[in-house]
Amino acid sequence: MRFHALLAVMFFALCSLAAASLPITQEIEEALTCQCGCGLTVHTCNHLQCGFAVPAKQEIAKQVGEGKKQEEIVATFLTRYGEKVLSAPTTTGFNLAAWITPFLVVLIGGVLIGIVGLRWNKSRRQNEPQKPIVSSEAEQYREQLKKELENFEN
Amino acid sequence: MTHLGSLALSLASLLALYAIATSLWGVLQRREAWIASGTHAAYAVFGCVGVATIALLYALVTRDFNVEYVAGYSSSTLPMRYTVAALWGGQKGSLLFWTFILTLFSTIVQAQNRTKNRALMPYVTAALMAITLFFLGLLCFITPPFERLALTPTEGSDLNPLLQNYWMTIHPPSLYLGYVSASVPFAFAIAALATGKLGDVWIRTTRRWALTSWFFLSVGNLLGGRWAYEVLGWGGYWAWDPVENAAIMPWFTATAYLHSVMIQEKKNMLKVWNMALVILTFALTIFGTFLTRSGVISSVHSFTQSGLGPYFIAFLILVLMVSIGLLLYRLPDLKSENELDSLLSREAAFLLNNWVLVGLAFATFWGTIFPILSEWVRGVKITVGPPFFNKVNGPLAVLLLFLTGVGPVIAWRRASAKSLRRNFTVPILSGVVAGILFFAFGFRNYYAVVILSLTGFVLGTILSEFVRGTRARQAILHENSAQALSRLVAKNPRRYGGYVVHVGVVLIALGIVGSSFFKIEKQISLKPGESFEVGRYTLKYGGIKNREDAHLAAQAAEVAVFVGGQQIDTVYPEKRLYKRQNQPTTEVSIRPTLREDLYVVLGSYDAPSQLATLQVFVNPLLSWLWIGGLTLILGTCITMLPSPAERQALALARTPAEVGARVVTD
Repeated sequence: MRFHALLAVMFFALCSLAAASLPITQEIEEALTCQCGCGLTVHTCNHLQCGFAVPAKQEIAKQVGEGKKQEEIVATFLTRYGEKVLSAPTTTGFNLAAWITPFLVVLIGGVLIGIVGLRWNKSRRQNEPQKPIVSSEAEQYREQLKKELENFEN
Repeated sequence: MTHLGSLALSLASLLALYAIATSLWGVLQRREAWIASGTHAAYAVFGCVGVATIALLYALVTRDFNVEYVAGYSSSTLPMRYTVAALWGGQKGSLLFWTFILTLFSTIVQAQNRTKNRALMPYVTAALMAITLFFLGLLCFITPPFERLALTPTEGSDLNPLLQNYWMTIHPPSLYLGYVSASVPFAFAIAALATGKLGDVWIRTTRRWALTSWFFLSVGNLLGGRWAYEVLGWGGYWAWDPVENAAIMPWFTATAYLHSVMIQEKKNMLKVWNMALVILTFALTIFGTFLTRSGVISSVHSFTQSGLGPYFIAFLILVLMVSIGLLLYRLPDLKSENELDSLLSREAAFLLNNWVLVGLAFATFWGTIFPILSEWVRGVKITVGPPFFNKVNGPLAVLLLFLTGVGPVIAWRRASAKSLRRNFTVPILSGVVAGILFFAFGFRNYYAVVILSLTGFVLGTILSEFVRGTRARQAILHENSAQALSRLVAKNPRRYGGYVVHVGVVLIALGIVGSSFFKIEKQISLKPGESFEVGRYTLKYGGIKNREDAHLAAQAAEVAVFVGGQQIDTVYPEKRLYKRQNQPTTEVSIRPTLREDLYVVLGSYDAPSQLATLQVFVNPLLSWLWIGGLTLILGTCITMLPSPAERQALALARTPAEVGARVVTD
């Protein structure tokens, strides 16, 4: 159980480390979906003369140059084009379900595995027969057999 | 010929219905003759679908533009290799191709099992023919591929230029092979549930089919990534597009199944879970093809919007109802015969691995359908793009990478502190060393370095397994290292082939991390003779060369590449215009090395000013992604090799006469 708790701590620590350190213009461009139909973000749109991505990048660069914050710039596009321009759902209202649900499902799955595993473990320990009293020679052979089996399996 | 094709499809539908009816009737009446008739009908279905496929191919190759499909997806100037590939380039042709593969696999399954699994086979036949009947129904009534035009155009519309690429000729067939082969374990699972024969026989029978499905899904996804990288020109290979997601979801569940099935074989546990995974994998292949063909979610990959969505949804619901119904009916008989000995064991590691893989499949599914959900619930269109999937799937993938190192090395049943120390000391050290080396070589993103350390850890575990096994053989059998290694793999191809697959996965992870976290990109407009720097490269633009033929016109930029003042190469990125469709495309120039890819795109060219706009990416470690793919292919081939017991059984089966003669003589 301690191993699994350690695993969980590592996992969430990794999540927190995952924050990317990109230039601010690139972060904003990645936060917006290109509306030309390519399905990519404004930053990665593969149409170099794209009617949406090119002016959008210029506007983003201009607003960053004017000292505006990332949230303000994204909000400008959100007001103009609606939520579909964002490349990921917001974290408010119904959209929060998009983010929470996968982690919730994984967490519930992990808890269920843990419960089932502990239940099996407990049932196995309860069903283990009492060790019979044996001669020391037989015990020696048992130990040797156990070691050889462990070596074989590993 | 096309009339023959239409007739063949109609006949195939009737024969498929007959095969289902006679197989089930034969079981009910316990009459082998009816069952045999159903089997023969299944063979005939393949024959008829084969005729239809040849008919459509013939129409394509002879440029019969009176056939609507041929006019829509080919032209007189289309090179022959793409003309053949046009068979799966459009909606109708790809459905026919899918059906062809399905009936081919059904035939192979019948032939493989003509003298075994006799109790299961009638249900297997019925299940496979039911799936075939669904697709034949679409081809006969909803989207027939042999429709003719009222007037014959003088020229076809040509194949989409984006599909006129080597990788695109092999990517769809590979994916279809992966999707369709998932039908076979599913059919056997249904047969096992229907007959109550829930032991390991159906699993052992379908192991290689499951592996085949997984193999082709892996290859298909890799080829799709390669196509996107070479053709789309955005410097990347995976954009979490809905159609890409449709291909990766069954891969996640198939990977989970291939691992958890080992627990059932060793310990008779997780029977319900394995059944559920097989059903889920097949259901996801149907869901995936629904996504691609229905147009419910827009995608650069999808076929044009069609009316097929409701039919696929109805079929999917039917599949799930029947499968889950049977599973619930047999639940009491699927109880595990053993229990977990310890949470610190290989069984537990495999359980965790399954947990993460199914979590990845669910997260991908959820993100893919969330835009539809949002529109239903709030009436608002939203996008769920790469930032969502990277943030949600990324950490899960890292956890999976860690488990890839733990699983093969931790002991079955219960790992002791001593065995943990013995098995993990070297891998942990190799992980730490890998992290230090990557950091020293300039990889300075901490998250990325942690992942790169994990790749070192996993490679360390795999290497120690090979070294330990080889040394044991050398010590006991006095073989040299090459003999010992080759015989080690030959004695247990499934285990060691699996390790090679894991190496492939690690190398793929290396390529993904390097190119995702440390990419350098630059866009610049310049005149001939001007140069610029990107990363360690200096690029000098030399001018534009034009070429033209009946099919396309191309402009190629000559770009000399320098490192440290020395010219190391010249690259020629192109812009093309395919005349028939009047559609421009980019032909990226890629200079791959083990260290990094130099990726150059010609964005635009203004003739009067001679100004060319180039977009350049430097993608560190990306070549390892493709090397990892090849390693994965090698590993899968090794796992498919027969084990010593299977080789012995095959040898005995081939020489009964000799054995009989020896017995008589003795």
